[in-house]
Amino acid sequence: MTQEELISLHVTKAVDARGTACPGPLLEAKKAIGTIKSGDIMEVLSADEGTKVDIPKWCAKQGHEYLGTIEGSGYFRIFMKKH
Amino acid sequence: MEPKKMCLGLFSGSVDKLTAAGIILGGAAALDMKVDIYVLLQGARAFRKDIGDNPDKLQMAENPALKEEFLQSLKNLKVKTWVEFFKEAKEITDVKIHICGLAGKIWGAEKLEDFIGIADDICGISAYITGAEEADVNLFI
Repeated sequence: MTQEELISLHVTKAVDARGTACPGPLLEAKKAIGTIKSGDIMEVLSADEGTKVDIPKWCAKQGHEYLGTIEGSGYFRIFMKKH
Repeated sequence: MEPKKMCLGLFSGSVDKLTAAGIILGGAAALDMKVDIYVLLQGARAFRKDIGDNPDKLQMAENPALKEEFLQSLKNLKVKTWVEFFKEAKEITDVKIHICGLAGKIWGAEKLEDFIGIADDICGISAYITGAEEADVNLFI
């Protein structure tokens, strides 16, 4: 997805994990994704450099669709669609 | 789908290695893995009820002179303590903590109630070998 497409996504759940270090953002994502429906979009905000690698790998293993990451402003916005 | 299994032989009772084990457990929990932890020799001491999360009673495995700096950094980064990591992983996925019976005896703790509440049972070495044989991921810390 392009950055413009990511920005225009309808996000059902946004998880702000900027205050935590690895594995905090991953665990926040894991807990939050259980609260949304299949096909819903979730966004994870993280200031942890490792998260932008971790989340796509986690999505692949869990069957969720990783949509892309927006970088900038000192943190990452990582988007995924629940399977 | 059958969950992937992780088997962790936890020999170490040092605060740095226990923290590493906790972080790895967090990852395993996020992936819905079934985890069996076999707590061996030095590890069993850290699980004693009177030690657990008290960093004053735990040493560093490496760079002992940097213990205070290490603990302060964890605090600044809002990283959970090793016991908190273990508890959180147990809340998210199936984590069973087995304490080696001999290890417990070495440190004067023979019964399950002598250990912190997250311990599930006391076991022998064949439980560890069987668990390791059946696991998809084997780690020894």
